[in-house]
Amino acid sequence: MTTGDTRLLDDLRDMWQLADPPPPGLTSRMIAAVAAADLDQEWELLVLVRDSADEPAAQVRGLGTARMLYFNATEGWSLEAEIDGDQVRGQVLDLDDLSGVEVTLETAAGQSWTTAIDEVGFFSIQAEATGSVRFTVRRGEAVASSRWVEL
Amino acid sequence: MGTMVTMSEDRRAEGQLEESPWNKASGAFTAWRAGDATAVDELVSTMTPVLWHVVRAYGHDREAAGDVIQATWLGFVRLHQTIQDPQAVASWLITSARRGAAAHARTARRADPVEDEALAAALPDEESAETVVVLDDEASRLWGAVATVDERCRKLLRVIAFMDRPDYQSLSQELDMPVGSIGPTRARCLAKVRTALTTGGER
Repeated sequence: MTTGDTRLLDDLRDMWQLADPPPPGLTSRMIAAVAAADLDQEWELLVLVRDSADEPAAQVRGLGTARMLYFNATEGWSLEAEIDGDQVRGQVLDLDDLSGVEVTLETAAGQSWTTAIDEVGFFSIQAEATGSVRFTVRRGEAVASSRWVEL
Repeated sequence: MGTMVTMSEDRRAEGQLEESPWNKASGAFTAWRAGDATAVDELVSTMTPVLWHVVRAYGHDREAAGDVIQATWLGFVRLHQTIQDPQAVASWLITSARRGAAAHARTARRADPVEDEALAAALPDEESAETVVVLDDEASRLWGAVATVDERCRKLLRVIAFMDRPDYQSLSQELDMPVGSIGPTRARCLAKVRTALTTGGER
């Protein structure tokens, strides 16, 4: 495309922005629609029920440096995770069908690590997880995420 | 041509185009995925005006255009996990809006689309009354020139003007044009606009 063409297209874009702008309420209507649709999604919350950071260190099986997190899903299963440096190990418990289940660890900075679980629900992730993290368990269409946990 | 260049440079100097909507969109999308729940609002604010122009290029009236855009966003909420590359979020939305607009045009052939768009600025109804006021000389000249080219050209130019990286493959399907002819067609359409500008200037 020649420079002249690019300029003319730029000018046309400016012209259309002036001549036929979106109606004033359109953006807020779309924001509301997206917010409502997002709420409709069946995102289950993994509720943090135990956090080693809230307990005296000695009670946590002598794992001085590790952080233990226990999450419950309302459906009755749970997720245990142990974060020790760059090693994250854990287990999905009391879930009837473990096939195809994936665990994702995300940081608020935008990194993410995903792994499958083994036949008894164990998983292990090598991850430089710092700052705020959250866990997501995917089973096909069903997704359960925890809130952000500060490490 | 010189004055038109000034027009876009002026606006850039005002800072409106400092960061392209496509970059802003991918930044907001990345932040949203990383757990910043409010970032989706920024994504919607950034891309809704772009989608507006893309959908209006298909000649839909304002109400129908709003509906197509809303359907695009609902599809996005449902399918955003399939977008692998955050950089591609703007293209994904534009493509989805174009498909929605094309599909809507096929099912709802009521008002003459060309007329609707052409009349929007020409007639002093409530909406365009303010439009006419805002249009400066250069923009009015451009509008007049664009109004003289055929509908197909106008549609192609408006869609391309709001696209980051024109996706000629899918464009060709929707506009019913061979892929290889889109570049030349665009050049030809722009030439038509230029000619109309020159002719209009001499009047």
